[in-house]
Amino acid sequence: MRRSLASLLLCATTLAGAADLRLGATYTLEDSGILAVIVPAFEAASGVKVKALVAGTGQVMKYAENGDVDVVFTHSRVDEEKLIARGIGRARVDVMYNDFVIAGPASDPARVGGSRDAAAALKRIRAAGAKFVSRGDDSGTHKKERQLWEAAGGFEAWPGYLSAGQGAGRTLMMAHELDAYDLVDRATHRQLARKHPLAILVQGDPRLLNEYGVTTLMPAPARPVNERDAAKFAAWIVSEPARRLIAGYRIEGEAVFKLR
Amino acid sequence: MTLLDATREAFQRLFAGDRELWTVVWISLKVSLTALAIATPLAVALGFWVAANRFVGRHAVIVTLQGLLSFPTVVVGLVLYLLFSRSGPMGAWHLLFTQDAMIVGQAIIAFPVLAAFTLAAVQGADPRLRETAVSLGAGPWRSALTSLYEVRFAVVAGVLNGFGRVISEVGCSMMVGGNITAYTRNIPTAIALETSKGDFAQGIALGAVLMAFALGVTALLALTQREGGSR
Repeated sequence: MRRSLASLLLCATTLAGAADLRLGATYTLEDSGILAVIVPAFEAASGVKVKALVAGTGQVMKYAENGDVDVVFTHSRVDEEKLIARGIGRARVDVMYNDFVIAGPASDPARVGGSRDAAAALKRIRAAGAKFVSRGDDSGTHKKERQLWEAAGGFEAWPGYLSAGQGAGRTLMMAHELDAYDLVDRATHRQLARKHPLAILVQGDPRLLNEYGVTTLMPAPARPVNERDAAKFAAWIVSEPARRLIAGYRIEGEAVFKLR
Repeated sequence: MTLLDATREAFQRLFAGDRELWTVVWISLKVSLTALAIATPLAVALGFWVAANRFVGRHAVIVTLQGLLSFPTVVVGLVLYLLFSRSGPMGAWHLLFTQDAMIVGQAIIAFPVLAAFTLAAVQGADPRLRETAVSLGAGPWRSALTSLYEVRFAVVAGVLNGFGRVISEVGCSMMVGGNITAYTRNIPTAIALETSKGDFAQGIALGAVLMAFALGVTALLALTQREGGSR
């Protein structure tokens, strides 16, 4: 009796779950505010109910691997392609892009302001012993930071290097509180600029490109996936209405995402 | 990774003396014990004073203390955050995202537990004891210490309970500590992070340490109560 009740319950939750689309999205999408624009627009256009799970890109990839999401919206092309190569992801579409910047205190103790070379700037911050708050959470932003360190000849910790393990907005806020530097995407920076003003010191390095893609997932016996609605989302996000929405998204008058 | 694999790896890390793991444990202990060391004398003094004296508003103080027992820790975190933030009234002290901020938070969280335990114990103690002490010529300090000595097991129980509350507290530590590696990352905030990162082995290992602390504290509590009872 108890057993049949449990299976009934399981059945009911699976059925209820089937109606929702579980979207794995990154902190930068949430913290920049674009997620709160995209999700209701898609829901209205498709009639699909979206449950957004927000985490760093690395974590979102784990969610995908564990079958906890149906589709992912992330910003690490390498990892997205790896997901497909491993047979977990099905297909990826390019959605939008912007860029990362190195932000920091206006006093700029490491004197990196105005430079374009992001890797050299990180090295200077380390050489000056200045504070730097790293995401430290295997997110897309953290992966970008690691790429830059590699380009700078390898990472070495120093006492001012603080690994926060938190989202983009919170990390920026910590950097502002601690008078530290931070690698952050332009949209999140703009969104928090009023409350947590950190100056943009380094920008324009082509390595600072920040690309977002949507990847649908391959269903497997251990990972049931809401394929139909995931496909709907992947098609909608590159449709004309969605493109207009993204291109028209402004924070205090500034367009923060660009289309391919 | 299955639960079994993760658990096996967790215990391997525990016994291999994984440095990152034990740093987190050490930070947890250091912060919580320091917080208790600060809160205990003040809270015990207040608890005793409220129990031993009659004054206007005494009942309100007792009710407030008992109410604070279930005060949400995230609210403590929120208030401290606003105080310590650079735009807040204590911003110039640069306390936010430091171990000191975590200690302040945990001391505040432990305080009502310690005070309420002492208060209840002293109220429940035989009043003749103190009267006898006074009649034997003990001064106010001496008679207070006699009473406190009499309820020492209850006070210890309060301290152990307070420890249990702060060592596993995540909301306030996350908000005012910032979860910085090797600095303000303690066991609860690390578990929260590792779980969302998908490093379940690290989460399980830290969870095992936390449960060992909880069990140890419960055992100690049982022991002090038996000692207290067989006296």
